[in-house]
Amino acid sequence: MTIHNDAEFKAALAGLDTAGQRRAAARFVERVLDLTADGRVKAAVAGALRGELAETDRDGLFQGANTARVESFTQCGRETDWHAQAGHFVAKGAVACVKAPAAGENLAWDAAMHARMARTCQGVASGAGTETREAEAQYTLLNSLLEEQLKA
Amino acid sequence: MSASLDKGVRVLKEVIDAPIASYFNSCVHCGLCAEACLFYTETGDPKYTPIHKLEPLRRIYEQEYTLLGRVKKRLGLSKPVTDAELAEWQELVYNSCTLCGRCSVVCPVGNDIVYMVRKFREGMSASGNAPEGIKGAAQRTITIGSPMGVKLPAVKAQMKHVEDDTGIPIPLDAEGAEYMVMLSSMEIINFPEYLGAIAKIMKQAGKTWTLCSTAFEATNAGMQIGNSDLARVIVSRIVDGAERLKVKTVISPECGHAYTALRWEGANLVGRPFTFEVKHIIEVLGEFQAQGLLKTEGKETDRLTFHDPCQLARRGGVIHQQRSLMNQVAANFVEMPDAGFMNWCCGGGGGASAIEEGEELRLEAFKKKKSQLDAVKPDRLVTACANCRIVLEEGLEHYQMDIPVVGLTEMLAEHIPDTATKSAEQQGA
Amino acid sequence: MTEMQFLTWVRGPGLDIAVALFLLGVLWRLIEIYSLGRKADLSAPRHTPGASGWHTVFRRSVPPPGMVKRSPVSYIGGYTFHIGLAIVVFFFAPHIKLVESVTGLSWPGLPSQFVDFVAVVTMAAMVVVLVDRINKPVKRYLSTFEDWFTWTVTFLPVLTGWLAVQHLLLPYTTMLALHILSVEILLVVLPFTKLFHAFTVFGSRWYNGRVNGHKGVAV
Repeated sequence: MTIHNDAEFKAALAGLDTAGQRRAAARFVERVLDLTADGRVKAAVAGALRGELAETDRDGLFQGANTARVESFTQCGRETDWHAQAGHFVAKGAVACVKAPAAGENLAWDAAMHARMARTCQGVASGAGTETREAEAQYTLLNSLLEEQLKA
Repeated sequence: MSASLDKGVRVLKEVIDAPIASYFNSCVHCGLCAEACLFYTETGDPKYTPIHKLEPLRRIYEQEYTLLGRVKKRLGLSKPVTDAELAEWQELVYNSCTLCGRCSVVCPVGNDIVYMVRKFREGMSASGNAPEGIKGAAQRTITIGSPMGVKLPAVKAQMKHVEDDTGIPIPLDAEGAEYMVMLSSMEIINFPEYLGAIAKIMKQAGKTWTLCSTAFEATNAGMQIGNSDLARVIVSRIVDGAERLKVKTVISPECGHAYTALRWEGANLVGRPFTFEVKHIIEVLGEFQAQGLLKTEGKETDRLTFHDPCQLARRGGVIHQQRSLMNQVAANFVEMPDAGFMNWCCGGGGGASAIEEGEELRLEAFKKKKSQLDAVKPDRLVTACANCRIVLEEGLEHYQMDIPVVGLTEMLAEHIPDTATKSAEQQGA
Repeated sequence: MTEMQFLTWVRGPGLDIAVALFLLGVLWRLIEIYSLGRKADLSAPRHTPGASGWHTVFRRSVPPPGMVKRSPVSYIGGYTFHIGLAIVVFFFAPHIKLVESVTGLSWPGLPSQFVDFVAVVTMAAMVVVLVDRINKPVKRYLSTFEDWFTWTVTFLPVLTGWLAVQHLLLPYTTMLALHILSVEILLVVLPFTKLFHAFTVFGSRWYNGRVNGHKGVAV
């Protein structure tokens, strides 16, 4: 089955196990990783991409990414720096890659949505507009991930 | 006297009314207001005593509006308010006051100190003594239309994002809708999940709603900085939008001061009563719950507590609804000490969180919130104000407390059965 | 001036002047304050039972949750000396007689031994709150000459009155004259100092309660 829309996308992601979701999440966030300079965020995504993380390592990466997320909030009343805000959403995506999932939580879907928001913020920052092709790119990415899985 | 000081003093003379005169004459220097203010209780520094934050205003009152005061001034026996003094007072009036209103609730002689601080800010702003962080917000409100520089394209992007996420279309400029939903910049920028939650809830309740392209911004920097003219600009936009779209009710988002600005100060700013109702989203959800329109499945099982945003509960009068709503989706909801209308401020309201120089003080004041949380030891913290959320997260992060913060509207929406997926599937087929 | 002349003066012209200044002062100050007026509130009110200006006038005498332990002296000391002053001023037979001679109104007094005891408790409470004002950082920080002065002009009438009744320190005639004089000073300064809160507390609490009641918060 190839994925054409968000309903199929979300369902396919929900069907993955936690490890699979983390891998997918990491691939989605990897696409927008250049929108942040924060080492903690990059480390979390790199860790999730490698896969098979020990519990303590994963927790450490989570702490780092979460701090990065909290530190990058835009404060109420400040001028929105859309570049920085993009970085904030990348951090959010990175957190989704390495957090312990709560019941019913679709980590990969959350990561995908945060990655899209990051792309959107970047679009606002660069004046390129807010229509992005990030969703389509994510579908393509997931399609090839699922194919790899089938072959393995 | 410089031109701007002159302007500031003139503004201060104008804002003084009978209540303020009554308050200044009633103060007996008992210091109980300090015992209610987290900036004093957590630092022990008496300069943060709320009534002391008004000293320049008190002197202007005495010198302009009392016989003895005027006589003293004539004889050269009174101390005039100076540029330097107002500059010195900036920290007291902005950094160390979030307009939380606890002082007004405890003063034994009945002084409404927060009302006076709000008025004092008018003079501070007019004399150029408002903090840089908020000045920018005020400027952007005029030039861009949003204190945080959020324009319609960004809102539309979020709308699209939310439509993708939930599968529910977000109406824009739908005339005759029952509800006009406002957003705060904070939600547009930081918490897109809020709009998604609204969409789900409205769909289930079967209510018509809309965003407004000319009035999506609820954040009122004018109110925070103390500039009524500016506050009026923002409110007028909302009034025009609501009347143009002929909506019954305008919903103020999970943002504290936006509600105070629109619900309680709005009509006074524009000079006439509103032709529509204004309700906080939590009030609306409370109504839906009472009418059986908020049907949820399942409950959160971890230990949850609720942080009452000052502008919602103590200053807004919305106190019981959030509790009923919590009980609907939380199996283990515990109240922190002083919960409800006596709750302690997160420390970041009233523009405080936009003031960089005030960060250290805010983090120190956060110890009060920390003590409330230490007493109840929740797994997660729920609240209903986007700014509180961020301030709480920052404080928790600083004190290494592992307590995730969640928005109440989002939490409720998560428990609404996902019928949206069905309609999206039909789209794809 | 002899003791008797002094006493006669304070009882006569002195009292007339003091009461006149007091009444005129109170009237003037009330006008000065409340004639400033306030703008009407055009926002739609919430109608919440139990939340209004009048409610707060009374309810504000009750400490809000959590506050007594933050400053027990302020509350306990404050209640004690305010109630004590009221008992001594309004329920001591000679005071009631004085009011009766001027207005014709009278009411039952309390036993003089009880009033005597209350006077001592009142003075003790006043000393405690004075010490607290000196010791506590916030109170000390806020205090000005006026705070010490008003404490003194409030304390002296109780002290001199008690001394007079006990026939202590000075001959009765002098002590009584000093007592009446101290009351006259109190009356004259009351409208022009923080002691005026005796009148404005009602207005302040009322405004506060009204504004909050408008929003549905019972304060």
